[in-house]
Amino acid sequence: MSEHVVLFAGPMGSGKTTAIRSLSEIDVVSTEAANTDRATADKETTTVALDYGEITIDDVTKVRLYGVPGQKRFDFMWSILAGRARGLLLLINNDAPDSVELLLEYLNDFRELHERGAVVIGVTKSDVAATPTVAEYSAALTAAVPEQLIPVFTVDPRNAEEMRTLLLSLVASVEMRELLAPAPEKI
Amino acid sequence: MNQPFAPAASLAPHLNPVHIEAGNRTLAEMQDLASSLTFAAMLTDDGFEIVHLNGAHTDGGRFASMSSSVQALSDAVAHELKIGTNEYVIIASELGHVIQLRVQGHPIVLAALFDTHETLGKGLSIARIAARRMAELIA
Repeated sequence: MSEHVVLFAGPMGSGKTTAIRSLSEIDVVSTEAANTDRATADKETTTVALDYGEITIDDVTKVRLYGVPGQKRFDFMWSILAGRARGLLLLINNDAPDSVELLLEYLNDFRELHERGAVVIGVTKSDVAATPTVAEYSAALTAAVPEQLIPVFTVDPRNAEEMRTLLLSLVASVEMRELLAPAPEKI
Repeated sequence: MNQPFAPAASLAPHLNPVHIEAGNRTLAEMQDLASSLTFAAMLTDDGFEIVHLNGAHTDGGRFASMSSSVQALSDAVAHELKIGTNEYVIIASELGHVIQLRVQGHPIVLAALFDTHETLGKGLSIARIAARRMAELIA
């Protein structure tokens, strides 16, 4: 059985924990604390270390799902977990102020990971805020990272099928990257 | 029911003057009990620093965030292994040890760094006293 490690990142309130709970076949390991920063995201709890889940796809591939805290003050967890991942699933909540800029900031924060692996973008809460559109995100991504084609989807993190589509797209990109990687030189 | 003023308890602990004053007092008393106390902080469960002591060489905000993550991960391990409630966390290193524990009944963590002149047992005892004291002061 092959394995992949995928990192779920994005701002606080973008739906990372919910997405992992939707996808995981095991009880998700969560590290939630009471959220005292209700101005940033009006929710009861927030992840302060990681979320962890697992899913098996096509019966032979296990995907380990790691979620990181959204707040920058926990960026040490980003570094720790990004080091073991090959794929980045970046969620952005469409109702966030300056969400396109915010997406580019997070993408830049995880640049090392998506440069050696793969990345897909999931736009959440598009039912709450209709704009920016997927096309606007795509245009901004193309301008910021012209050398890389980054897929953008709208998703509901509560919807397992939608999240699965996003995840499969990411895994396919990771596997393609591995296939295209130059073979190590023989000594 | 009319409630003209928001009760202090509704404020986040790191913004609540009652918690800040209690935290400063508790950490000062803690320092009196242990000169080996290199750094100490009270922080919210979600990683905001409420107060700290001896912060000249330590980034209090980063320490609070890391302590919050460590506390949550330790709680998750205890939960996963079904071994009851996580009481305290110890990180023992060559040049010092970190002891952290919850202030009972509040979403607050006390994290303290002692140098190696303190035994782990005494450090833990002092940290427990301080956590109880903080709970009393903000009850």
